[in-house]
Amino acid sequence: MSQDTHPYIGFEEYSEHVPPSIPLAVQQATSRFVGGRAARVAELPQWEQLRQIGSDIRQHTIENMDVYLTLLEEKVVAAGGHVHWAETAEDARRIVLQIAKENNVKNVVKSKSMATEEIELNHALEAAGIEALETDLGEYIIQLAGTGPSHIIVPAVHLKKEEIAALFSEKLDIDAPTDPIELARIAREVLREKFLNAEMGISGGNFLIAETGTLVMVTNEGNGRMCTTMPDLHVAVVGIDKVVPDWESLTVFLKLLARSATGQKLSTYTQFITGPRRAEGEFGPKEFHLVLLDNGRSKILKDPIGRDVLKCIRCGACANVCPVYKNVGGFAYGSFISGPIGAILSPQMLGTQAARELPYASTLCGACADVCPVKIPIPTILRHLRRRVAEGDAFAIPTISTPIRATANLASLALAQNWIYRLGARLLPIINPFFRKNNWLSNMPYPLNRWTKVRPLPPFGARFRKWWNVRSTKETESPR
Amino acid sequence: MTNPVIENIRRSLGRTDLTPLSLRPAIYEPRHPESVDSEIARFLDEIKKLSGVGQELSPSDIDSSLKTLVAEQNIRKATVWETPHLKQLGITEILNSLGVDLVSPNADKHEVALCDLGITEADYLLAETGTLVLKSSTEKPRAVSLLPRIHLAIVRPEMLRADMHQVFAEAKDGNYLVFITGPSRTADIELTVTLGVHGPKNLHVWMTDT
Repeated sequence: MSQDTHPYIGFEEYSEHVPPSIPLAVQQATSRFVGGRAARVAELPQWEQLRQIGSDIRQHTIENMDVYLTLLEEKVVAAGGHVHWAETAEDARRIVLQIAKENNVKNVVKSKSMATEEIELNHALEAAGIEALETDLGEYIIQLAGTGPSHIIVPAVHLKKEEIAALFSEKLDIDAPTDPIELARIAREVLREKFLNAEMGISGGNFLIAETGTLVMVTNEGNGRMCTTMPDLHVAVVGIDKVVPDWESLTVFLKLLARSATGQKLSTYTQFITGPRRAEGEFGPKEFHLVLLDNGRSKILKDPIGRDVLKCIRCGACANVCPVYKNVGGFAYGSFISGPIGAILSPQMLGTQAARELPYASTLCGACADVCPVKIPIPTILRHLRRRVAEGDAFAIPTISTPIRATANLASLALAQNWIYRLGARLLPIINPFFRKNNWLSNMPYPLNRWTKVRPLPPFGARFRKWWNVRSTKETESPR
Repeated sequence: MTNPVIENIRRSLGRTDLTPLSLRPAIYEPRHPESVDSEIARFLDEIKKLSGVGQELSPSDIDSSLKTLVAEQNIRKATVWETPHLKQLGITEILNSLGVDLVSPNADKHEVALCDLGITEADYLLAETGTLVLKSSTEKPRAVSLLPRIHLAIVRPEMLRADMHQVFAEAKDGNYLVFITGPSRTADIELTVTLGVHGPKNLHVWMTDT
């Protein structure tokens, strides 16, 4: 979705209507992941060093992104792959549909991908008469249910096994039992047929290695391998921020990712794909297409504080520790990415107009920054974005009215200049008699009435410096 | 050749096509290997923690171990990597003698999908995480470790590497590589761990001496 068309994200309104079952399910998931992560981190004495190196390499990659992407393209093409540049979500959809059309594709199998959620690819494929099936078990369930994900790693965690059984019974026309293992077996059977018969597999990617033009995909179920091994065509849609310089750098991120995400040392399957298959007998696609998605990322690079969001490796650890996320779940963030990282990405990607409430969806407790494997200063960026929302930026008008901003600017000037502050402190008590009632100022004129409407203000005293001086003299004199 | 995305990036970063690449930050030291015996023990222990079955076998035990596996898992159809080492161990002959149907590893995907068992080697092993690293070629097709419900990897101590650094240094120029760390798993329904959702449900690793 582009910046001017994304519907307004009413976080406050959503969060008021969250059914209690959602925080309950989400907290079961997050507490498991938090515990698993802590155990893995404790095993690795060099964890903090790894985080620092990970952060430094991401920073370096962002600052040299044009060079690495240019190298990546050259290497993918040298390996026999095709590279497509998508400036917008619309471009990306058009490119994928064009590839599908040229190859007469009717059935697509998809592995879990945030990038294709971001560009809402499934709708576009369906509108073109192409079946696009999500094959990650959780994604498959929510696709059948027609809802969005409630958690980045376990998207269907809000649904009970009874609800999933009812869904399978209805949609697959079977009599599904309520046992999770049986339900997984049914999904395996249904999807096995789809994998073997689809003409095209669509994936995202966790990393892109510039050094050799390699796509790295991390999955647990094996559906990612199926999507990239069975069909003759593989299309990967990947954000330009996923590029890493080389394989040496990748060792750092592979060590950080699974430990931070699920508390595994490594996810079950990590694939390294460099172009299409070289011989028919080895399996794998005949054609490999890489769609490099910008969709606002290059604009984010312009903001030297906000652009740290592009260091993200999508582990979800920040959401798992976030007191706000744990109580509202993923839906409330109104976008493909939720939790603290969503609160700093969506306003920058979808615009501070549509997503202006998200920087406020935080207590600024800082737990997210403590666990982030690449040390993104999330609270700093949240405050920075609050400022952009309040003062207005290239995407949106200010949310705070002109008189309030003028008052605030005046106050910040006064607080910064000693003499103005002292003058003000002398002058302000003059107004006390006009508003004073029982030793409180209870009814001030606009804009100060925004305060006094809710609670009274103590009268201006201008006694602080005097009091402070007396107090400190007393303290030095008084015996211990 | 330029494109709008690269141009947008350069404009945002204030770079030109002539701005040189800055130096990449240094990477940490890789893990140091312990003795071969302790690395083998660690590797097999990690496989076990991942709900796989890992054991040390002498080549002469393969015959009886395969017999047990075929009987216990009710294996009727199998497919095997056509590598020199597996040929030398006589894997296909043993399976034939046990009455197991053999499917060529390069057969059509629908055929390979009917196999109960896929047998591979590994190109590298990572002890720290219990990981099998497999390359891909006509002799070593990708589907053998993916489609059958049971994956058996017959491996040797010389495949062990202390850390991914060494694996990457040796293997990065190939066109495909997969790390397999345990059997296929999910916890997507009520966080119940379920094995074998799309890939193999059972992972067996036999460490043999040569």
